[in-house]
Amino acid sequence: MNVTAIIMFFLFVGVTLVITVWAAKRTKTRSDFYAAGESIGGLQNGLAIAGDFMSAATFLGVTALVYSTGMDAMLFIIGGTLGWAVILLLVAERLRNLGRYTFSDVVAFRLERKSVTTMSAIGSLAVAIPYLLAQMVGAGALIQILFGMPYEVAVILVGVLMTLYVMFGGMLATTWIQTIKAVLLLVGGTILGLGVMSMMNFDFGALVTAAVSEHPKGSAIMAPGVMFTDIITIISIGLAFVFGTAGLPHVLMRFFTVPDALQARRSVAYAIGFIGYFQSLIFIIGLGAVVYVTNNPEFLTADGSLIGGTNMATVHLSKVIGGDLFLGFISAVAFATILAVVSGLTLSAAAAVSHDLYANVICDGDSDRDTELKISRITTLVIGLTTMALAILLEGENVAVLALIALAIAASVNFPVMFLSMYWSKFTTRGALAGGYAGLATALILVLLGPTVWVTLFGFDTPIFPYHYPTLFAMLANLSCAYWFSVNDKSDRAFAEIESYDAQWIRSEIGPL
Amino acid sequence: MLSQRDKEILTNKDFDKLVTIRRRVSWSFLLVLLGLYLAFGLLSVYFPEVLARPVFAGGVVPFGVVMGYGILSMIFIATLVYVLIANRYLTPLKRKVIAAAGKEQ
Repeated sequence: MNVTAIIMFFLFVGVTLVITVWAAKRTKTRSDFYAAGESIGGLQNGLAIAGDFMSAATFLGVTALVYSTGMDAMLFIIGGTLGWAVILLLVAERLRNLGRYTFSDVVAFRLERKSVTTMSAIGSLAVAIPYLLAQMVGAGALIQILFGMPYEVAVILVGVLMTLYVMFGGMLATTWIQTIKAVLLLVGGTILGLGVMSMMNFDFGALVTAAVSEHPKGSAIMAPGVMFTDIITIISIGLAFVFGTAGLPHVLMRFFTVPDALQARRSVAYAIGFIGYFQSLIFIIGLGAVVYVTNNPEFLTADGSLIGGTNMATVHLSKVIGGDLFLGFISAVAFATILAVVSGLTLSAAAAVSHDLYANVICDGDSDRDTELKISRITTLVIGLTTMALAILLEGENVAVLALIALAIAASVNFPVMFLSMYWSKFTTRGALAGGYAGLATALILVLLGPTVWVTLFGFDTPIFPYHYPTLFAMLANLSCAYWFSVNDKSDRAFAEIESYDAQWIRSEIGPL
Repeated sequence: MLSQRDKEILTNKDFDKLVTIRRRVSWSFLLVLLGLYLAFGLLSVYFPEVLARPVFAGGVVPFGVVMGYGILSMIFIATLVYVLIANRYLTPLKRKVIAAAGKEQ
């Protein structure tokens, strides 16, 4: 039990609950609930966006990857930042100009609303729910180690808090919680990075030398190939980061919280600053963990492995740098990170049900405000309860597959459909549906037949599909189906959709007049 | 069908300029950045020794780490330059297009 961690954690929870009460009073309309009343400024939204992306997976997972593989983690570090350049240069401003609350609005701008919205809502849910579950299971295990509380209690605590934030505080509460957490995380990361560098007298070469001499793999960590050796895997990982980021529904939703395209652009620019800065710290923190944690008996179990697994490398490093006080701070920040990210995911899943499916598909765009808000709150509650139950059932399971599915679907369903609807005039409803569902099916089938599920989960000897990451093939399936079905669509509807592209193009460039 | 106002916007020279500048800047920046990332991936599979080689003879920091940080800096610079171009040229052009469209109504 770490007293500092517990005090800091309760402080954070206290502040977030006050924010939720405050936000609940201001959340009356749909725009309040889904988009924080479109009132968030560029800098704050940039922080919140960075917060959404800097999840426990980045903070602990990518550091752990540096800790165990060294240079191979650079693929994640660069890719994770580059995905934001794609959003800035191609997506952000158009998204704000064309949509209202979710990216489905953008896809449905000139295509047939009901069928296309259904497909992109399924895409959103297929990303948000597995990702949410992966975070919950990881969170339970992490909190168990950090705070010494039982797994079930940890999962229920995270589930109850996230449900409260979203149900009552909507996007306004979620944004503020995300903002606070982003600041805490940036401060924590900076102290970790500075701590490592100051112990090395600010000599990066000395850090590299020390890491090579401490790491069991020695100089191999300063060369590629410890973990990733084939080009198909590397391209799939790259595509998942570069285009999957622009397909994450909870990230895309953030662009509707600002008043206009100018603020949307400003948001991403700030976000890239924060994310890039944080990513460049990750490599230093990871190497620091190699130097100060790998052979430190304090952090090793009897058989010589790291207490709590490699994901705990950062947390152990914090103890070396700042003792129990800083360990407590970093533990609380890790918890806050998980809470904030699961809240954003829950909200995006709730919006996919209430705004996309209920309001736009069932009510055909003409829904009653109070009923719609009630449905989004009920959905939030259902998602909260279901993910809590599933996370408890999945205790100790390998959930890497869930995060894998989420990013693969984001890159091979959501992003291509959104991108083509914005940039390709001959894209039709038939093409969108064929491409979207083909991408979804390919991603799911290949994950099922791949090593993670077929071998690890089902226990077969060899996988039918040899690669862990399906993104390259699933994206190709989407794009080729989208192309073929669009150019061969000679229906009247297709003709009308192609004709209305120019109006959409103007709107995407200059916004609503 | 395009409204009369949209037809006029499409023939507006400022709109044309706005679209052309944005297209050129966005895609060229993106292709450079994606190309660098792809180069990193290709090097790490086919020429790992290039990434592992120290940047300075006798030094310890390998080229791959420098290249990684180099690409991160390029992303920063591209972001900064895009925002500067957008603020300096794109936003005023957009305002002109909107003002012209408003007048014609």
